Formats: sequence, structure tokens, C-alpha cells
Amino acid sequence: MITSGMIEFTGAPVWINKNTCKACDICVSVCPSGVLGMRYDSTSTLGAMISVDNPDACIGCNDCELNCPDFAIYVASKEDLASVGKKFAKLTDDAKERQVKIIANNYMSLDLQGVK
Amino acid sequence: MAFNYDQYLRLEKMPTLWCWGCGDGVILKAFVRAIEKMGVKQDDVCVVSGIGCSGRFSSYVDFNTVHTTHGRTVAFATGIKMMHPDKIVVCVAGDGDALAIGGNHTIHGARRNIDMTLIIINNFIYGLTNSQTSPTTPQGMWTVTQKVGNIDPTFDACALGIASGASFVARESMLDPKKLEKIFVKAMEHRGFSFLDILSNCHINLGRKNKMVSAMDNLNWIDSITMPVKKYNELPEEEKLNYFPTGILKEDTNVREYCDMYQDIIDAHQGKRANITQDDFEKKI
Amino acid sequence: MADTREVISSGNHLAALASADAGCRFMGGYPITPSSEVIEQMSDLLPKRGGSCIQMEDEIAAVAAAIGAGMAGHRTLTATSGPGISLKAENLGLAQMCEVPLVVVNVMRGGPSTGLPTRVSQGDVRQAKNPSHGDYRSITLCAGNLSECYTEVVRAFNLADRFMQPVFVLLDETIGHMHGKAIIPTAEAVKAGIVPRKQFDGAPEDYHPYECEHDQPAVLNKMFTGYRYHFTGLHHDKNGFPTEEIETCRKLIQRLEDKVMLHTDELELNEEFMLDDMTGEEGEVLIIAYGSVSLAAKESIRHLRAAGIKAGLFRPLTLWPSPEKAIKKYTDMIKNVLCVELNIRQYTEEVERVSSRLDIQGLFKVNGRPISPHEIVSKVKEVF
Repeated sequence: MITSGMIEFTGAPVWINKNTCKACDICVSVCPSGVLGMRYDSTSTLGAMISVDNPDACIGCNDCELNCPDFAIYVASKEDLASVGKKFAKLTDDAKERQVKIIANNYMSLDLQGVK
Repeated sequence: MAFNYDQYLRLEKMPTLWCWGCGDGVILKAFVRAIEKMGVKQDDVCVVSGIGCSGRFSSYVDFNTVHTTHGRTVAFATGIKMMHPDKIVVCVAGDGDALAIGGNHTIHGARRNIDMTLIIINNFIYGLTNSQTSPTTPQGMWTVTQKVGNIDPTFDACALGIASGASFVARESMLDPKKLEKIFVKAMEHRGFSFLDILSNCHINLGRKNKMVSAMDNLNWIDSITMPVKKYNELPEEEKLNYFPTGILKEDTNVREYCDMYQDIIDAHQGKRANITQDDFEKKI
Repeated sequence: MADTREVISSGNHLAALASADAGCRFMGGYPITPSSEVIEQMSDLLPKRGGSCIQMEDEIAAVAAAIGAGMAGHRTLTATSGPGISLKAENLGLAQMCEVPLVVVNVMRGGPSTGLPTRVSQGDVRQAKNPSHGDYRSITLCAGNLSECYTEVVRAFNLADRFMQPVFVLLDETIGHMHGKAIIPTAEAVKAGIVPRKQFDGAPEDYHPYECEHDQPAVLNKMFTGYRYHFTGLHHDKNGFPTEEIETCRKLIQRLEDKVMLHTDELELNEEFMLDDMTGEEGEVLIIAYGSVSLAAKESIRHLRAAGIKAGLFRPLTLWPSPEKAIKKYTDMIKNVLCVELNIRQYTEEVERVSSRLDIQGLFKVNGRPISPHEIVSKVKEVF
């Protein structure tokens, strides 16, 4: 059954509910750290689906979650992550640069260069 | 734990019928977070919406909810609030809803300063009916009812709110959900009429012929026409024309709220106080 | 009689008093001749009893606020005249669709449009049947004397809660502004007769406000009591949420029809004046009239009988749905039928429909003046 409800924390810093994502690109665009990207998905609304490409770069700013209109992306709390022995990353220059590239790549994941 | 929205949502109604990237969802989410922050019971909240995309807002949140007729949101909410002055009543309306067909109710709800929060989701277009001119559509933009360009002068919603007497007037955009959440809390905690002009996107219907075909293009445009009020106030007059100031534009906690004033009427009729005279009011005219 | 009291009052004031006595807690109103005295009176009566009466910014807002209070679970009133109903129509449709009880007092004046604001008419009878678009059944009561301005409004409040929908009470300018003695029930008697709307008291997860028998109204619990559901003017499912599911849509609209039309016996109220000695013999005259016109009709019947013409009056107090069986019975029995109305054929057409007769005579007056007994007598002598 399709559920729109929250998917509980599974150990990742950021995770997705593919049932409600409408592939609007907003989360990709607001991420400061190049964590997210879009990928083609023939079963999705706009033929694309969000993908968490670089979870370890997530700084826990929560912007993707707050800006998601469809309750499709969640960010762990610091306590959640600590409970599995992880910490949010610090924002690095590499990460910033990657984010610029992702936006320049029309919000698509970087391994899908120039496809959109 | 990550924020769990489920308690406040009617999950069986989701995903929402709003288009991909629609600001309505962001506003809805910020609203839910604001309610959680305030720590109020879901039973003590009533959300009243009108017609249009924003009209569906009420059906997605698990409160006492009412989806009314086009533009009449504030009027329905007035009846509910008068009978339950201690409850939180929130109106959600679109720009066409609150400023065109329902303009009169918006004005008079604000004038009475009845304790409710009016969230105007202002996306500058009639979205649900497919791109007709709204009172806030910028001049020169394309709409299906003005295919050679809109000539209708645009509405500054907050100016209307201030002039009508709302005691709390603010503008934010869905670009900054954190600010949005804060302004919702402030507005709902304010006792009086809280008038919120929340700028939102409609890349589908505003954007499609106005060079903003993606959510991001539309959001960038909103970003380019908004400016924090402090910065805005320092602009020369001619530059002000092209920006909407954001933030709290009016906050007056001294104006009496309508249900409180109506209690005076009840008290006077029940012999608990003298009749109300002009001496009771600072403002005589 | 212990259960009644004698008052000197006007029709509009009695309608207001009845509302307050029947437990009305909210009124949203807007000034309009000839109904303004209702809100004037309510603005005193309601706060005195802890309720609220607001003069809203327009007719639309007035009914909207009243429906809002009704949605919240309270007995609620709006009063207006024909032009006001025209404006309120859309929201009255919402109340029909959402099944929100509400009493609408319409003190009729001359129309169409601004018409004859200070003069009498019964021109809103057809409008009361279908003020708004779509399929639903209007419940419309009509007061024919001062006492009924009180009793019909009380009845309207109880019917609104029973059938969960707006109920119209038609007064007209003559009766609204008529001032005189009236015998009305005591406030205690009215209070004792109040049947409040049904409430569900099981677990919230078992509560489905619009899931009811095919001929029963929705069960709408009071707002803020832990039963959260949704009101919408869209076709909706058992919990009030928008749906386009074929069978749910059909059932909903059929139920709006059936909840009224399969229970007309609970609605019907007629006066049969000097009809008991009618046998159907040649020369008998049946007059059908309602509202203030019936006062003149009764007087005319006394004159006609004195002149040897056996006449009687059939007067529906519930105009919509019409008392089909009773109308059929009398129009089958008596050949000479005269409908007297302060409009052109608005109810006569209903009598024609129900009786399947096209020889119904009519006396219609639309110049803003009341009908006199003499006019009715002359008409009877002229046509029969």
C-alpha cells in the first residue's frame, strides 16, 4: 500500500519518501552541500526522482525538508545520528563546489552530466 | 527525532493534489510546525479555507476544518470565532479569494480586529482555473485573459491590511520556511486580526508564459522582488516600486479585539457594566 | 392556558423573540427593509442571553457567519428580504451541501431587483424553493398571522436540527410590520419542546458524519469537541472529504433529496378553514392562500358564506415541500378552485402540478398593496 506517512529514521542523515515526491527540484536547489540530485525514474510523476547521492556530506541544516512541499524528504536530528554513532558533516568547499555543479546540471545527479 | 508531521496530517488524502513544487505545500508544512511549536491541541484549532488551490489546504490538516465558498473565508470564520473566542481560528485564502471576490470580507474582518489569522497564499495568478489575471498579477505579465499583457494595476495586499485596521500585518515568502514558521506562531499568538501576505509560486500557471517554467525560476523571481522591510525602508522612493517589503509591517497590541469588545456588549446588556460610550474609546472618530 | 402568553408585538419582533426562545445563539444580519427589525431586536435579545448578534458587512457575510456558527454547532439565524436571499443564495447552497442547520427569515417585499422595498409581496415563494443551484429540497414555512411569526420560527429551528439544513420562514411586509395582540407559547414551553440536533457519542475513529441511512441527514458533532471532520461544498465522502467516486456522489445527492421527500409527514402543516362541511357539490369554492393573504381570504369566506356561497380556505403553513396529498384531496373534491397570491402564479403552478388541473383560477396582485377581502369576493363571483 502506498503510504504518505513518515518513514522512520533508519540510520541515514537524510532520507526520502518516494511515494510523495513529485520531483520539483526544490530540495536539490536549496541544499548547500551537494547532497542531493535528481535521477530519471519512469514510474515517477515527472519522470524523475530525488536521490541522496552524498549522504555523508549532509550538514543537517534541514533546508531540504522545510522547503519540500510534499513531505517527501526527512532529515535526522543530531540525537538520531548520534544514536548510530554518526555526526553531520561540516560544510566544505568541495561540497559547495559540487552543489554549484549540480545546479548547473539542471539539478540532475552529477553522474548524469548533460542529460536534461 | 526528525520532525514527525503525521499527527497533524490527513495522510489518506496525500499526496496533495497541488502541482510539483507548489508553495502551498511549503506553507502547509510551516503551518504544521508552527502549531506544534505553540503546543496547542488539534481539537482547539479551526482552519477555514476558500476556493482555489489554497482551498484544499484545510482538507490536508487534521484540525476542525471547513472548506467554504469563494472569498467568504473570513465571514464563515467570524461566526465560528464569535461562538468560540478561546479557540484558534485560521483562514487560508488565495489572492483571488481574499483580495478579489472576498475583498469586502477581508477588509471588514481586519477592521473589526477579530482574533483570527488570515493566511493569504499570494501566487499572483488564478492557478486552479488556469492562468487568469488575479488582483496581484504584475502589470505586463501574460495571463490567459490578457494574452497581450496584463494592464490591471496590482494590489499591495499588506497596504490593504494596514489600511483596514488589522493589528498584525506581515509579509513573507515561501522561500524561507523558517521565517514562515516564526511568523505563523507570532500571528496566531497575536490577539487580533493577523493579516499575512505569503508570497508563493505558481510556475505552472504564472510561470508558463512569463519565463518561469520551473518552480526554481518562479522562486528566484519572488526572491528578486522581495526585500526585508528594514532594507526596503532605506531605498529611494522610485526603487521601492519594484519590491515588496517582507517581515512584520504592523504590530499593534493596544487595539482591542472584537470578541473582547463584544463581551462588553454582553456585560452591558446583562447589567454588569454601564452602556458603552465614546469615553470608552481613545479614538473618537 | 398555562402554556401560552399574550403579547402585544409585531411580526418581526415575534420572529426575533421566537429565535431567542428556541435557543438561537448567533445571528449574522444585514439591514434590509422590511426585515431590519429582526436584527434590531436580536441585537438586544442575544447578548442578554449570552449569545452574539453581529451586523456583518453584507448579506453574503451575514449568512456566512451564521452558517459558520451553525458549523460550530449552535442554533443560528439570519434574516433578510428577497434581494438579500439573492445575495445569500450561494452560501445557502453550501449549507444544503454541508447539511448545516440554519433558520432564514425572509420578510418578503416587492421584486424583482430593488422592487418595492416598503411594500408587501409574496414574490419570493419560487425563490425559496430553489435559491441556489443544484439538487436539494428546500424546507419553507410561511407564517399567516402574528402568533405564527413566533410559532413557525420555533418550528423552523427544530426542523433545521432534525433535517440538518437551512429552513426558510417566509413572512411578508404586512405581517412583519403588523402590530397587535398575539397569543404565543411561553418560553418554558418552547424550551421544553426543543429537539437538539443529533450527536454521535462513540469513539472519534468510529465517527463518520456523512455516513447515514439513505433517507437521514448527516450527524454533525459540535466543533472543538474532539471529533475532527471536514466541511466542504464539494461532493464528499462519509467523513466530509472531497471525492468524485461515482457511487458516493450519487448517494449523497439522492440522500439530500430523500431525507426531506421521504419524510414530508414530519414537515406538513396546514390550516383547513371552513372546509369540514364541504362535500364536493356544485357551487362550492376552494380558496388556496397562504401568509398574510389568508387573513383577507378568511374574511372573504365569511362574506361569501353570508351571500350563500359555500367557500373554504386551504392554507399550507409548510409551502415547500408542498402538501401534495392534501392539495390533491381538496382539488379533486371541489371544482371551483381559486388561488390568491401576491405574485403571479408562483404557488398556483404548484397547485396545478399537484392537482393535474389546468382550470385553477387565480387572483394575483403585484402592485405592492395587500389584497382586500372585497377583491377576493368579487373575483369569486366573477369567475365561478
